[in-house]
Amino acid sequence: DGSTVGRKRKSRWADEEPNPVVQLPDFMKDFAADLDPEVQALNLRLLEISRLLQSGMPLDDRPEGARSPSPEPIYDNMGIRINTREYRARERLNKERQEIISQLIRRNPAFKPPADYRPPKLQK
Amino acid sequence: PGVGLALAAPAAFPTKILCLTEVVSVDELRDDEEYLEILQDMREESGKFGSLVNVIIPRPTPNGELIPGVGKVFLEYTDVTGSTRAKAALHGRKFAGNIVTATYYPEDKFTMGDYGAVAVV
Repeated sequence: DGSTVGRKRKSRWADEEPNPVVQLPDFMKDFAADLDPEVQALNLRLLEISRLLQSGMPLDDRPEGARSPSPEPIYDNMGIRINTREYRARERLNKERQEIISQLIRRNPAFKPPADYRPPKLQK
Repeated sequence: PGVGLALAAPAAFPTKILCLTEVVSVDELRDDEEYLEILQDMREESGKFGSLVNVIIPRPTPNGELIPGVGKVFLEYTDVTGSTRAKAALHGRKFAGNIVTATYYPEDKFTMGDYGAVAVV
């Protein structure tokens, strides 16, 4: 059947049915935000990070050969090194956690951040 | 951000692999032309939701033998964000008149080429 050559074949997928535009009452908006797949992905990552931070397991378990060079050591006034690998790994996770929480708040103003969340300081 | 630790409970989480069932019939898959068209339709549509690694549609063997996984369509994404979006968009949508069911599929099984496992809902 040569008639179809060169013409775009119609996909077997049905057209995306346009979601019925229903104006949700205000009290439903929080609920709807939770259904957003991106919000769900953020929530999952947040749970994962929280679990890692609380697990007490080594956070940076890369073997010797797979690590990038360490920064210069920083010591506190007792002479104890502050920026250990573990400390830096924890800082990294904490930072990501704060960022995810900020995003969740932006998408859903009713989102209740954990008690230890501090909004990022605005740079002057 | 990756710290090299595996998720503690993979079964409860979305995976990068989305498995579509109730999509294609064995007869359609036997036909080379139809098979290629289905593959193309799948690639085009599923590529809209994230970065796609692979689309696998198991086919029956030429001697008519049924192999596990025939009738399923596997969409492999680079990340869970892609598969999550695709699941939200494709589940319940019609493909050639069939209402598609989309479930997450265990990554380890997929990697080993085991397409017969029961998918994680």
